[in-house]
Amino acid sequence: MSDVVTLRDVPRADAAPWRGWSHARLAGAFVLAAWAGLFWFLWLSGRVAFFLSSRTDWIVPVAAVLLTAATVGRAASARVRSPEPLSAGELWISCLLVLPVVLVLSAPPATLGTFSAGKRGDFAGAGFATSVTDIGEGALTLVDVAAGQTSREGERALAARAGETVRFVGFVSRFDDTPADEFVLTRYVVSCCVADAMIASVRTVNVTPGAFADDAWVEVTGTIYPVGTEVIVQASDIRKVERPDRPYLTP
Amino acid sequence: MAVTAPARGTAQRSRLGAVLLVLVAAAVAVRSTGLESIEWVRTFLVIFGSLLVQALPFVVIGALAAALVEIFVPVAALERLGRLPRPLQLPAAALAGMLFPICECGSVPVARRLMLRGLTPSAAITFMLAAPVLNPVVIASTFVAFRGRTTLWTMVTGRFVLGMLVAMAVGWVIGDRTTDRLLKRTPDERYELELERPEARWRRFFVHLGDDFLFMARYLLLGATIAAAIQTFLPASLLTGLADLSVVSVLAMMSLAVLLSLCSESDAFVAASFVQFAPSAQLGFLVLGPMVDMKLLALYAGTFRRGFVRTVVVAASATTLVGALWIGLVIG
Repeated sequence: MSDVVTLRDVPRADAAPWRGWSHARLAGAFVLAAWAGLFWFLWLSGRVAFFLSSRTDWIVPVAAVLLTAATVGRAASARVRSPEPLSAGELWISCLLVLPVVLVLSAPPATLGTFSAGKRGDFAGAGFATSVTDIGEGALTLVDVAAGQTSREGERALAARAGETVRFVGFVSRFDDTPADEFVLTRYVVSCCVADAMIASVRTVNVTPGAFADDAWVEVTGTIYPVGTEVIVQASDIRKVERPDRPYLTP
Repeated sequence: MAVTAPARGTAQRSRLGAVLLVLVAAAVAVRSTGLESIEWVRTFLVIFGSLLVQALPFVVIGALAAALVEIFVPVAALERLGRLPRPLQLPAAALAGMLFPICECGSVPVARRLMLRGLTPSAAITFMLAAPVLNPVVIASTFVAFRGRTTLWTMVTGRFVLGMLVAMAVGWVIGDRTTDRLLKRTPDERYELELERPEARWRRFFVHLGDDFLFMARYLLLGATIAAAIQTFLPASLLTGLADLSVVSVLAMMSLAVLLSLCSESDAFVAASFVQFAPSAQLGFLVLGPMVDMKLLALYAGTFRRGFVRTVVVAASATTLVGALWIGLVIG
């Protein structure tokens, strides 16, 4: 049986007078507007890069447009013949739905850091390597280095670059067994959203002990030495840099 | 004692004031108390925010598709589909999932609306479970994630075929159960039953769009909170010690898929990073994850009756386990 009973003999409701605003529909429009506002903000401010990869960030303007249209449509439909009050439960649920918007807008832009580094999978295990040709030619990136560790061919292509000068940007990570004159230069690789972030990292040696705090963003210039599955960079210059506008790499 | 209109108005205004106070307090707490400088709080907020920013657009796309189904697809068309014999109906519903390049969060409102419009529940559920696994974007991302490995085609075709079989198996288990036995009714729908009047079509479209979005969003919020908490505290290495135990490794990867609650369009990259695990375990991860995970469980719990959620979890998990182990045996 169909759920909706259509009363064919009832005159079109549009002909009857509107009696008031539906608070339930208005509250829904408010929630939709809040989320539409958040997506517009993320898109226009560039903050989307703190949540999504460049592959998937197209969904943000799409959501902004759809949610704006949904807000306008719902607000325009909020005048009804039998206005229903908004129950306390529905009001608090609406509050709960707006809360994440408030949290995201209030919190300063932040990224995953050292805290997560020990808990995440290693990008080197993921199969989406750049091609061996990419690893063998041109300037090496952290993605090339990590991807080069996924296969024997990649390892060989990377080994052929031993002794070359590289320049990587990432943040400083240290673990319990990291010597004082080293750190792990780390960058997260995100293919969709931050929830799927994986680590690309190189062991950086020849570091002045105590010079760089954990999570500090640095640019390391040095000589690369791939040793089996481990990649070491002997730093010749390390300088603090601002966090990049796109803090996560895309494979 | 009857509550007078002015008294009701005052109570509503106080509640509204309290809600605004909570929202302002939340903003101040994050901004001024240094809460955000605590590492696990910051990590939780980043992951929680990213899960929502990624999933909600698909929920709104799903709600849009559901509203289009509600307003523009004639009931007769769905009833005709429902009259097909089940051996044809379930594969047709599963393959229809290929036409919807949406994540799992988007397929739930569409399936719910299809059921409300009269499509056989078993077909709607088959569609709901198959769409996030069989759609072309997911297949392409699986291909990219495993490119360059000897297991590439095992993973791509295995995910497609096993995903389709599991979705159909769950549809088969649902059998002849009616929509009323499976679906929870929202207050709005009860209201429709009593007072439905032929509002203008555009008004009904926007009301359904908003209702579906708001209904799904609250459960997504709950699921994202749980998933973000797990991702913040659970080390991925916890499960890698189980990689050598065949049945246990498949179960471990299936559990991980449920806990991590990744989008089906990106989960292949994470599965590929677990190189210690056999392809059968990775397939378990890739097939079960888009059908059962923390955010989906919250969505299902809000949409369907409890018995149905149990049926989906058990049937999907058991079929995935058996299918993945069988593929493991075949490929050696």
